[in-house]
Amino acid sequence: MTTITAYGPPGRLTDMGDVGLKAWNVFIGDSVDQAIDGPDPSQVLHDSPRPQFYNLTKTETAPDAVEAAVTWTAFPNRLRSAVSDRQRWQRADASRDVQDEYCEWSVTRNDSGKITRVTFTCEGPEYWDVLAQTSPDKALELYRTHISPTVQRSDLFGPDGRYLRRNKWNDSTTQGAMHLIQQANTLGAEIELAAAATIRRVIGGRELTGAQELIACGKYGVAERNSDPHIGEVVNGIARQKADIALSDPVGLYFDDLATDGWRAPDGSDPKSFWIFHRGDADHPVRAVYEVPADRNFTVGDITINGRPIEFGAQIADFVTIKLTAVACRLGRSTAQPQTACAKPPARDEFTPGAFSPGALSSHGYLGTHPDQASRSTRLSS
Amino acid sequence: MCLWDRTPERRRATAWPTAATAAAADEHGRLERGTLHRGVSGVDQGPVPMSADDLAGLKDPMAAVFFQQGQWPMTLEDVLDGLTRADALPVQCVYMISEAGQITPDEAPGLRRDLRFAVTRAAPGADPDLLVSSDPDSAFLQVAAWDPAAQVFNYYMRISPTWVWTGNSWSALAPESRGKGCFDSHVNGSVVMKELRQPWSNWQSMAATIQLPPDDPLRDNPLYQRVIGAERLELTVKGLVSRWTTARLAAVVDDGMVRHPDHLLRQLFTTTTVNLASTSTQSTTVGPDSGDLVLPLGFWLNADALINDLGLPVSAETVPAAPASLYADSLAAFGFRLQERASDFSRQGDTFFAFVIPEAAHEDNDVVRQLVAQGLVPARFAACALMVDFTNPVFSPARSHLMTYVPTEPVPASAWCTDIAAAIVAAAATLPADSPEGEFARNWSLPEARWRSVFAERVDAYLEKAAARIRTTSGFRDCTRLAESRRRAFQAMKLNEFELTLPTTDIPADAPPLRMNEDGTVTAQTDGGSP
Repeated sequence: MTTITAYGPPGRLTDMGDVGLKAWNVFIGDSVDQAIDGPDPSQVLHDSPRPQFYNLTKTETAPDAVEAAVTWTAFPNRLRSAVSDRQRWQRADASRDVQDEYCEWSVTRNDSGKITRVTFTCEGPEYWDVLAQTSPDKALELYRTHISPTVQRSDLFGPDGRYLRRNKWNDSTTQGAMHLIQQANTLGAEIELAAAATIRRVIGGRELTGAQELIACGKYGVAERNSDPHIGEVVNGIARQKADIALSDPVGLYFDDLATDGWRAPDGSDPKSFWIFHRGDADHPVRAVYEVPADRNFTVGDITINGRPIEFGAQIADFVTIKLTAVACRLGRSTAQPQTACAKPPARDEFTPGAFSPGALSSHGYLGTHPDQASRSTRLSS
Repeated sequence: MCLWDRTPERRRATAWPTAATAAAADEHGRLERGTLHRGVSGVDQGPVPMSADDLAGLKDPMAAVFFQQGQWPMTLEDVLDGLTRADALPVQCVYMISEAGQITPDEAPGLRRDLRFAVTRAAPGADPDLLVSSDPDSAFLQVAAWDPAAQVFNYYMRISPTWVWTGNSWSALAPESRGKGCFDSHVNGSVVMKELRQPWSNWQSMAATIQLPPDDPLRDNPLYQRVIGAERLELTVKGLVSRWTTARLAAVVDDGMVRHPDHLLRQLFTTTTVNLASTSTQSTTVGPDSGDLVLPLGFWLNADALINDLGLPVSAETVPAAPASLYADSLAAFGFRLQERASDFSRQGDTFFAFVIPEAAHEDNDVVRQLVAQGLVPARFAACALMVDFTNPVFSPARSHLMTYVPTEPVPASAWCTDIAAAIVAAAATLPADSPEGEFARNWSLPEARWRSVFAERVDAYLEKAAARIRTTSGFRDCTRLAESRRRAFQAMKLNEFELTLPTTDIPADAPPLRMNEDGTVTAQTDGGSP
């Protein structure tokens, strides 16, 4: 039986100093605790508490613990209703705001318009909030290393000194992608989703088991995404085994794999060899670049997928999978009772998200997000 | 019926008549232990020992790791462990499928689950070279293995106490064995995954997890614990289909001549096989207040071939969608239910994912795509053919009729398509305008610079009308009848193995086959082109 002493940074990154690491631990711990509590019943009914979700720093993980990876495709499912592949690839490459599967990317082209590099990130924005506030020089250095040597401090910070998640170097699909910025792509939302999905739902005497019926009832995300219903289904499936569940440390979203079935490079080389992780440790990569080394006489745009050249970053996203990892223990021992109704706002009350207070982190260096980002993180935002 | 079809070690196919397995089991006793047999349905009278020369000629990993070494793995685990011990194809992916996988065991305790594993093995950085299909008890065990020397998939089946080579990719195309034995599903010689598109119905995937009781012993099975989503297998199968298509085209074009032109062009003009598509919506979540139900694009047309591969500049941006209430009403109106007679199981409602339909097969489209990409078939010719009765992407008698004009003997690669087009155009002169020949001739008369835009305008006009029609009760019910008509055409194929793959309805068994028209209406099927 063990607890961990502190939640570590995503990908076991080594950017932060002591203050940042402490702030990060507080942020994740508080987010988990808030997710365990769930929303106030005055705001949402039948969605709290979540007794099968636990905090790794406070509750012991039992010896029967098993890890479960949940994986999904990075290409945004909500764009799949396009009539042609070209349409959906164009739409996905057009804006970071539609890249809502916890993976965002930016495409670099040469003078002839051919793709030379595609940068993928699954780093949550909260990590960068903390890093930029506690180690601004490091944040600037990382931008200069991974995005452009010409990045200026004033590009990243507002007049009040706050870090700008959506800055000129991290706000498009062409200028670079340092971390996630799509509104629903936050670690807070990941934690909230996983916690909410631990609630078993028995409706009309039948226990819900399907991904779509669970998300429709639990209202923890958007049913049309790849990620939200799948995460919820897997987590709930573990909950139905009467286990306690936590997100594994380090909490984060990670690259699972790039499949290259049907890919061909002009020189016959392995197309997967051009997929390089740039941040995160080997088991928890958070930044990947697809780029052909300069000493080859071809570029990414010359590689074909089932006979078709790569013209869009989204074509690669079709083959990228993202993952999170949960840990389950005390299997068969939870006494938590299922909810017998679906989550819903109380009668006559408008649903208003509960306030998430970043103030608790201030003594540890976490200065909080912008006021418009300070409410409970959920995957329900567009 | 050959041993392959009758053996009790064949996968249980609930949609097929019960085979005389007891008699077949007796035949197992005639198989020689420790010897690879050959038994190609339609060619061999029964399994016979393979000659030493033939065995030595097999260069796939199954033959190299096991049979040529005198090893005879009898279980799925034996196969996988043997590969690992030989340090062969170390990259393994495990997938799982069950047509009953979304019917919870407590809901139907008497229903057999028929869970099966599909396992791929690959060298690092390469596409898989070996695929195994089996079940947790290894009651059946089948392998497709790529032979890099012969550039074919070899197909093997364990029939205790040994293994039988049941043919290779070319056997699928040879008249004597086409559609027989394992080639009832490997129709054109490649590996197959019927539910190849999201949401990969029946497979465990990111769209749906197969339901197991908390105490199911399968949870302790090491392979089950490694199951990953079928979204990955889709990519693998598409890559392997393309691998075989590439090899096949390289072999059939020789010295400027195309051998067996009919074998190639039947994949343009006819429906040699199908994939199954559906909405991504769980049918039981659809209620009167649900949002619109986006029907599978493959129901409306062969968009993969016409738009993605041949590049029609279609303006439509969304797939036609119907009010969910119409779908929900249709389930009651037509008596939708799932049933498996062998288990005496019946339940009201549709399949787990709503509105399953057969759509144009990826393997047919891949042949057309590669023929065009290699310059063997002009894009215009392929488009003119596919635009005949294009509103019926599968089972079109009109398009199939045009096979009449495809020669069976070798033809010069430089002119075969223009010769076929000329023959059709000549015939059209004496036939009605709405004949398939007439429609092809009109398509073919379009100038090179305009055919794409003209065809795209037709597709756009059709999708606009269809989108309006399915928002009406009568229009949606017509589409429901049409979907059932196409499902029944699929059910007539040996590819249809499991009753639970498709819903059953109250639509009379003798209802006439239906067709979609360009104005979005549905009428009885004819042999003509688009009215």
